[in-house]
Amino acid sequence: MGTQHSKAAKEFLKNQDYAHWHDNTFWAVRQKRDNMAQGLDEWEQLREKASAIKRHTITHLDQYLDEFATRAERNGAIVHWAKDAAEFNEIVYGILKEHDVKKMVKSKSMLTEECGMNPYLEARGIEVVETDLGERIIQLKGQKPSHIVMPAIHLNHDDVGELFEEKGISDEKGNHDPTYLTYRARLSLRNEFLTADAGMTGANFGIAETGDIVVCTNEGNADMSTSCPKLHIAAIGLEKVIPNYDCLAVFQRMLCRAGTGQPTTTYTSHFRKARPTAEQMHIVLVDNGRSDWIANPEHWEILKCIRCGSCMNTCPVYRRSGGYSYSYFIPGPVGINLGMLRSPLQHSGNVSACTLCLSCQSVCPVKIDLGDQVYKWRQQLDEFGTANSSKKLMCNAMTTLFSHPSLYKMATAVSPLANILPPFLINSSLNPWAEGHDMMKFPKKPFHEMAKDLNISPKA
Amino acid sequence: MKIGLFIPCYVDTLYPEVGVATYRLLKHLGIDVTYPLHQTCCGQPMANAGFEGEALPLVKKFEETFNAFDYVVAPSVSCTAFVRLNYQRLLGEAHECTTAQKAMDVVEFLHDVVKVNQPLGRFPHKVSLHNSCHGVRELRLSSPSEEHIAKFNKIKDLLQLVDGIEVVEPERPDECCGFGGMFAVEETAVSAQMGIDKLNRHIATGAEYITGPDCSCLMHLSGVAKKQGKDIQFKHVVEILAAGI
Amino acid sequence: MSTKEDILKKYRNNVHERYPMPDLSDIAAVTYTDPLAQFIEMSKAVGGRVVELAEGQSLDDLIRQCYPDAHEIASNLPEVTSATRNPDTVENAQALNGTDVGIIRGCFGVAENGCIWIPQHMQQKAVCFISENLMILLPKSQIVNNMHEAYHRLRQAEKDSGTDLLNDYGYGTFISGPSKTADIAQVLVMGAQAARSVTVVLLPQ
Repeated sequence: MGTQHSKAAKEFLKNQDYAHWHDNTFWAVRQKRDNMAQGLDEWEQLREKASAIKRHTITHLDQYLDEFATRAERNGAIVHWAKDAAEFNEIVYGILKEHDVKKMVKSKSMLTEECGMNPYLEARGIEVVETDLGERIIQLKGQKPSHIVMPAIHLNHDDVGELFEEKGISDEKGNHDPTYLTYRARLSLRNEFLTADAGMTGANFGIAETGDIVVCTNEGNADMSTSCPKLHIAAIGLEKVIPNYDCLAVFQRMLCRAGTGQPTTTYTSHFRKARPTAEQMHIVLVDNGRSDWIANPEHWEILKCIRCGSCMNTCPVYRRSGGYSYSYFIPGPVGINLGMLRSPLQHSGNVSACTLCLSCQSVCPVKIDLGDQVYKWRQQLDEFGTANSSKKLMCNAMTTLFSHPSLYKMATAVSPLANILPPFLINSSLNPWAEGHDMMKFPKKPFHEMAKDLNISPKA
Repeated sequence: MKIGLFIPCYVDTLYPEVGVATYRLLKHLGIDVTYPLHQTCCGQPMANAGFEGEALPLVKKFEETFNAFDYVVAPSVSCTAFVRLNYQRLLGEAHECTTAQKAMDVVEFLHDVVKVNQPLGRFPHKVSLHNSCHGVRELRLSSPSEEHIAKFNKIKDLLQLVDGIEVVEPERPDECCGFGGMFAVEETAVSAQMGIDKLNRHIATGAEYITGPDCSCLMHLSGVAKKQGKDIQFKHVVEILAAGI
Repeated sequence: MSTKEDILKKYRNNVHERYPMPDLSDIAAVTYTDPLAQFIEMSKAVGGRVVELAEGQSLDDLIRQCYPDAHEIASNLPEVTSATRNPDTVENAQALNGTDVGIIRGCFGVAENGCIWIPQHMQQKAVCFISENLMILLPKSQIVNNMHEAYHRLRQAEKDSGTDLLNDYGYGTFISGPSKTADIAQVLVMGAQAARSVTVVLLPQ
């Protein structure tokens, strides 16, 4: 019954020291988040408001997008619309080519990851330099993010130290102190900021009323990326547009508290147009599936997501399997759901990577019913043709058994039970249950037999 | 007040003593309880595995079996939550589902309906409380650790009525133990790791027993404990509440 | 390439139910009996330093006192006479690299999280980020409780004045403490890509 996730998770757990470190690290982030939530008496009220604002906004997005684009253009930005990843990449490349850009620095954007922008541009001779430290580390390592907020969390300081030595970023061999390594990365990236021709940012929010692009970072790399180059390109998914500053206040307060357990990011930056001495600011609005997802009657609310990452941090499965175990580039509860919207055929395996503990939807700052949605996706696998056949057979057999009390009673009278019961009821060493568990001993009599002795049932 | 006792399939076959304790406890409290024969399973295992369609005949059967009672009481939070939260939708709007409203886990029934406050049995041991996910986040037997709300725990409230008991909670008091039905056989490695981690946190409290409102979590943890050679005992909450009665 | 109309039309057709905007006026947001004290505490908690400009003390003295080793000082504020660079007149943003201390003006502070609103008030905003150390001047009477008040104040000011507050430069930012990262093994390090230290200078009323 092994899915890709379950196999990868098994590998992940082989290094027990690392697995425990991973679990504890994310649990510590969850606890920091809890401290923030417990520190604000209005926390649950904010979650309600945030959810309601998002529900309203994404069901009126046609209006807000229009308002946003109109405002942004009036401010002096140049607005583009991309229906999919391919168009997005073409638009960005077109802008860069027109301005003869050789090197672009960029701050963190999961949207560009979604669109596969970096390899597209690199294949066309443009150097793309990630400037978020975590993103830069994995870029140098040739890897993908393993978490949407802490992309290099899977590497320890020795991994990074060795990488920096290899790439000539650090010059003191064996010094793997995070402070030293961060300083060396700073020097290296400073040079990139000063020599890049363009700067790209993602967007945490677009503000319809004012046309602002709002970017939240702790490192200041979005601001550095836009302070020197002649061009600024902001990439923004449609669903990131919100109505106004009053709404922004709600999300600004929650994003970082939920995601990293900080009261705010260090920088919350508002961009309306190009710097005085720069040439242009472009905003690229990207659909890439979002206008289809809003039509999905059971899963449209996933568009409420503000990408804080808190569902990953609390997920007991994510913490014990890591970001790379999932088949979609966004892992954890929200990634399971987004992957299914993107391609159920490719990503059905992820929906088993969930115990339905529902901790994700209890932390979610915008109250997406993430676990309930996983449950709903499971119901659709049969229809997609991606349901596990032995699981299906087992469920079918259980129903037959349980629908016929006489059959059930007969089966339970002969222990060990027939092969039609859930595996944890089957006493067999071939049973996957036996990998982690000792088998239970069956009692002499099931309860329904004892009930006869207790005389507590109406006469049949 | 007529109470129908629902003993879910895995409790019936593996933990009949939990069924007996539930019955004894309810009787002790003067409650009119009967156990309808011909009951089997609520349908949760199939539905959680992705086959709600397979659950439907069981839903109908359950409704038929229990609709004449005032409450359906079960010693299982996940089965109760499944009935309460999914049955009406599964039956469709055309058929009113009465059992969805009437289904109660025995803990919430004793705490919220019977409002038990007299001394119960005697259990002079240190027990570590296992807060099952669906009890916490679906039936709200305790305040979820994720939420900023006033702290409460109905299981703890009831256990405090037992003479001689010391109730403790592990670190990460409502983190999942890793059972998750089919999850335990599909994701064997993660499930076992979660179980080991949970078990160790329970053991770290110094408790002699782990107790909880759901036999499936306890079944998982006790299977892990035996495999790991860990020496700690398991009791469903009702067994402790009924101890010595 | 797709047009705005195509995408909006498709989106519009796919929305099945429209939800109303919630009332945000009843948010019971945190307030403080002494917002300034809370602001100072939060500024320190996020890794910043807070000093007060003493009666009769010159800003230049305070800068020297806080950063005695600084050589290159960048500011366009007339009261900073010790500035060696001016972000209004430098040849380009790159020319601000190597700045030891940048001195800028903040508009108001936010008690709940130590944020200071800094609308761009210089030709090159680089000074706010490229400087190794940043000093932010802030009138100590200008503290709001929380971000709701902060954004309300910004929007209200725009509406009242009928002008776009960011119009001149098209940029503004909330800054709360120094640049930081925990991207290497979750160890918190101050000074990622932007200012390695931030000193908030409280100005008398």
